[in-house]
Amino acid sequence: MSRQAKRGLLGISLVLPSFLILVFIVVLPIIGSLKESLTNDGGGYDLSNYKFLFTDKLMRSNIIFTLEVTVISSLLVLAVSYVLAVYMRFNNGFAVRWIRRMYMIPIFIPTVIATYGLMQLLGNHGWASRILYHLGQDSFPRMIYDMKGIIIANLWFNIPFTTMLLGSALSSVPDAVIESAKDVGAGRLRIFWRLILPLTYKTLLVAVTFVFMGVIGSFTAPYLVGPNAPQMLGVSMEQVFGVFQDRQLAAALAFFTFLLCSFIGYFYVLSMIKEEGMRRS
Amino acid sequence: MRWYLKAVGPKKIIEFLLLAAFVIFFMGPLLNLALLAFTGNWSYPDPLPREWSLKWWSFVLSRDGIAESIGLSFGIAAIVTAVSILLCVPAAYAFARIRFPLSRFFLFSFLLTHAFPKMGLYVSIAVLFYKIGLMNTLLGVVLIHIINVLMYMTWIPTASFRNVHTAQEESARDVGASPFRVFRSITLPLAMPGIIVASIFTFLSSLDEAQGTYLVGVPNFRTMPVVMYGIITDYPAYAGAVFSIILTAPTLILLLAAQKFVSADVLSSGFQMK
Repeated sequence: MSRQAKRGLLGISLVLPSFLILVFIVVLPIIGSLKESLTNDGGGYDLSNYKFLFTDKLMRSNIIFTLEVTVISSLLVLAVSYVLAVYMRFNNGFAVRWIRRMYMIPIFIPTVIATYGLMQLLGNHGWASRILYHLGQDSFPRMIYDMKGIIIANLWFNIPFTTMLLGSALSSVPDAVIESAKDVGAGRLRIFWRLILPLTYKTLLVAVTFVFMGVIGSFTAPYLVGPNAPQMLGVSMEQVFGVFQDRQLAAALAFFTFLLCSFIGYFYVLSMIKEEGMRRS
Repeated sequence: MRWYLKAVGPKKIIEFLLLAAFVIFFMGPLLNLALLAFTGNWSYPDPLPREWSLKWWSFVLSRDGIAESIGLSFGIAAIVTAVSILLCVPAAYAFARIRFPLSRFFLFSFLLTHAFPKMGLYVSIAVLFYKIGLMNTLLGVVLIHIINVLMYMTWIPTASFRNVHTAQEESARDVGASPFRVFRSITLPLAMPGIIVASIFTFLSSLDEAQGTYLVGVPNFRTMPVVMYGIITDYPAYAGAVFSIILTAPTLILLLAAQKFVSADVLSSGFQMK
């Protein structure tokens, strides 16, 4: 056997254990749920579960609600994180130094805890409403058990993560490049559009991918702070499975969410493969 | 007041407002829990509690199963971290250094762990585990926890191995070091920060995992987050806040201890190829 073939074999054998685990705990269950989702009441295979998803009034409103929350959260997260990351890249005042010290903490805080903290802070008679009461504000908007609550929780979890990704991409834009652009007379806006945005748009795609996937399938936050109806798909999935014992419908819900994620994931993988190709050649 | 604001300048004011918004939004919920945990009673509409007390601490700590759940969570997190290092770091080395067929396919296949909604995945896994008798077993719980970490436990070390310059390895080879020696004394130490960050991430993610453990491990494996769900629904906020602090403390301590390794660049490499 040639040396190269031997190396190749070594490579595969190093990768195989973790890949087999992936097959066992992710790929097989996904195939299992696809099969389950195509099973109808009579035990045959057809698309009846999917048809139910799009015709049942409640399910349809759940799907629309989930998409709304996901799109609004993703857009808000991206906008806020981008502004924050750019500000942190080009300023070095006391605020930026303090934020740098703190902004990674939320990434590591357990989801249950953060959601619980938000519930206590923003809930009916929570800390925020008490403080506003003393500032002369009697009524407090309903945030918990509402779409706003889910979106706020999503912002809490995803802004630090996205700012970190974007911050890392922005820090690799060399100062010298920006300085020289300034020297030839480029204004701030022009530098942003022609230099900074093109150098970071790939990272924006990465951020969109993970925020979208994280939000659309989330369970803890919508379960604890979301409304009873309509529900996010993660909560609805759990209810369909746990309360109604309808495994086929739950599987169809999961697979439908997976298809939406795959759509975004496709662009992500495409862009990453391009990057890989460039690195290799 | 106005002359003061003028003297400080608009830039400082913007900075101050930014910092205030950041602290209120991100630290507010955590601070609120910290206050609640040491409160005896906090009646509406007092902005701060009037009665401070530790009684909820003794209440939480004296309940059955709390001490066990803490020990169990740390035990499981340690096992998950060790197993995923053994599984993923060799794979990461292969992705970074060895050319083999389908390597891109293998590398990106780990994205699947994030693309399928967790709840749906856990439900299908539960069905699979029933069939082969992994329900309510340690192995089952460990496998569930590994799902969340496979991707960045592979991708972060891959990026770290790639950042080790081959020139350094080659010069060690030139002076007669064996391939294994080169790996042990050059490549591995240089990639270590990435591996450490990935391990911390793994450890914390395992401590945090609740849904999968609930579905596959209950009643035998009640970890801290699983107990937390129960406390949220059954007890007053003070008890929940105390338990939140117990659950968050290890996270903060670990982060503080590993501060010099945990950088945005290293963490970001867990989510993209650069």
